[in-house]
Amino acid sequence: MKWQKLGKIFDPTEHSLPNNCMQFAQSPQVLLFDDFVRIYFSTRSLDQSNGKYLSHIAFVDMRKNFRDIIRVSDKTVIPLGELGCFDEHGIFPMSVLRHGDAVYGYTCGWNRRASVSVDTAIGLAVSRDDGLTFERIGNGPVLAASLHEPCLVGDGFVKVVDGIFHMWYIFGTGWKKYAPDVAPDRTYKIGHATSSDGIKWIKEESRQIISDRLGVDESQALPTVVEIDGRYHMFFCYRESFDFRKGKGRGYRIGHAWSEDLVNWTRDDERPLLEGTQGEWDSEMQCYPHVFECDEKVYLLYNGNEFGRHGFGLAVLEV
Amino acid sequence: MFRWKKLGKVFAPQEVVGRPWLKEFAQAPAALVLGDVVRMYFSCRPPADADGKYVSYSAYVDLDRSDLFKVRHVAEQPILSLGDLGEFDEFGTYPVSVIRDGEDIRAYYAGWTRCESVPFNVAIGCAISQDDGKTFSKLGNGPVLSYTPDEPFVLSGPKIRKFNDVWHLFYIAGRKWKLVDGRAEPVYKIRMATSVDGVNWNKHNEDLIPSRIEEDEAQASPDVFYANGKYHMFFCYRYSSHYRGKQNGYRIGYASSTNLTDWTRDDSKAGIDVSESGWDTEMISYPHVFQLDGKTYMAYLGDQVGRYGFGLAVLEGELE
Repeated sequence: MKWQKLGKIFDPTEHSLPNNCMQFAQSPQVLLFDDFVRIYFSTRSLDQSNGKYLSHIAFVDMRKNFRDIIRVSDKTVIPLGELGCFDEHGIFPMSVLRHGDAVYGYTCGWNRRASVSVDTAIGLAVSRDDGLTFERIGNGPVLAASLHEPCLVGDGFVKVVDGIFHMWYIFGTGWKKYAPDVAPDRTYKIGHATSSDGIKWIKEESRQIISDRLGVDESQALPTVVEIDGRYHMFFCYRESFDFRKGKGRGYRIGHAWSEDLVNWTRDDERPLLEGTQGEWDSEMQCYPHVFECDEKVYLLYNGNEFGRHGFGLAVLEV
Repeated sequence: MFRWKKLGKVFAPQEVVGRPWLKEFAQAPAALVLGDVVRMYFSCRPPADADGKYVSYSAYVDLDRSDLFKVRHVAEQPILSLGDLGEFDEFGTYPVSVIRDGEDIRAYYAGWTRCESVPFNVAIGCAISQDDGKTFSKLGNGPVLSYTPDEPFVLSGPKIRKFNDVWHLFYIAGRKWKLVDGRAEPVYKIRMATSVDGVNWNKHNEDLIPSRIEEDEAQASPDVFYANGKYHMFFCYRYSSHYRGKQNGYRIGYASSTNLTDWTRDDSKAGIDVSESGWDTEMISYPHVFQLDGKTYMAYLGDQVGRYGFGLAVLEGELE
């Protein structure tokens, strides 16, 4: 298996975005239609009260050639949460899937904290208009911190396999100050939960399902799972927990693991390997992968440098 | 109507010396009857920090069983440490509720973190003691009861009970943050969850007690016990705004139930109110009822929600 890179396909600065969003098109995730794809992403506005970012969900509709843009959402897809709620300061990312006549959106909600920058949890919002707008099922999350997952439950990716909802997500293992004069950094790992209705979930409770490559201070994020020829493949991104924004070789890149039974995963980042291209939009960083099947091909959407500030790109799998 | 005879203030944190973490407040009393003492758990605070913010600890005082106004011993240390950086209980462990579980004592406590847009958030943790409740170790570094779609924030005030071999956790769940004069004030309602192991909980997902004084009434301290064929709940309630004084401050309410899910509220039966003079003239709150040597007692807080300690009342006559 090998990725053939197709380049950047969406640049948020070339479009007018709802909620006064300016830059960033992070963690693209698709909803398939007969003759086009809707790609949701997280973009950002500035919180006027303090100059911090707020993440909002938007989407772009594209032809299945992934070149021709039909439209970009011009209104709010899902409003941010209410005062004090888990998703008050951002939704990033949102994982979508069709369920009956509805579209389920699993949101990663962000709320700011005092001693650390943020905490997250996973919510569920439902769309009855083919994904144009979503309404949350409640003000609280469906998956949150628990006994052995003390913080930062987020990045849920949901897939129904044999009638069971499976969620792969991340949970924080803790915050740590790596140097006296820097803000605390977090570490998170990939976990797994199942559900019969997509609402009430049973976690495997802090079982890290993907082994570390960089050691205990490896952060793993945004799992996405696809079935190819009877085997499940997970893509995710991973990085050092400290100095990952600017540090050479410490930032996000794409990882991979496979499983026959959705229980045991074998990590194998090299097959297939996604590499950055020197001088290109993804030269320093590759992150927030999303794999999906479309017209019998397997595609990978992902972000490049600066966590997707300048948009997202596409690769196609050559088997 | 119940008739409670107030006995006065039992414990004043200001009188304790040599414990800098126990400077003021003795909130949310909870009794554990041991041999010749009643171990009364409470939550307290060291002085506020430079920004005026508090952390809270939980501890206990041993009261003489034959004379509850005689303090035999005060905990040398808090019973629980604060959580690590970024954890749900980093800034407070308050309140705590204890129960016997075989040889162990189990504690359910509310853990506090600090937020940016609202002052705090709260979730419920669990810890176990194997030395008669002197020290506790946490079951994990995360909460045992956390936020769900219908209970989005501020899960606090746990009261742990076991009825018919099923664990019952009564607690409060935040409904909304209400902006009052620019300050975010929490509105919360009484809720319940059940469990076969005390770890995995099924939330009932409904308010147990209808609001009476206003829609945004805040309810707390759901203290449930079984007597004479039914379940009794004493709790406290307040208005959503300007509740730090007498006018809108906490009062004690009452409800009863035969099945633990359907409750009939009748505050006129509570039988205890603020006093004309003394330490509880503005508010009374955080009731906890316990039985000892044939008598029924209520521990409760007075003015400023327990800043100056807690007191006791004794029931005159029988529980109906």
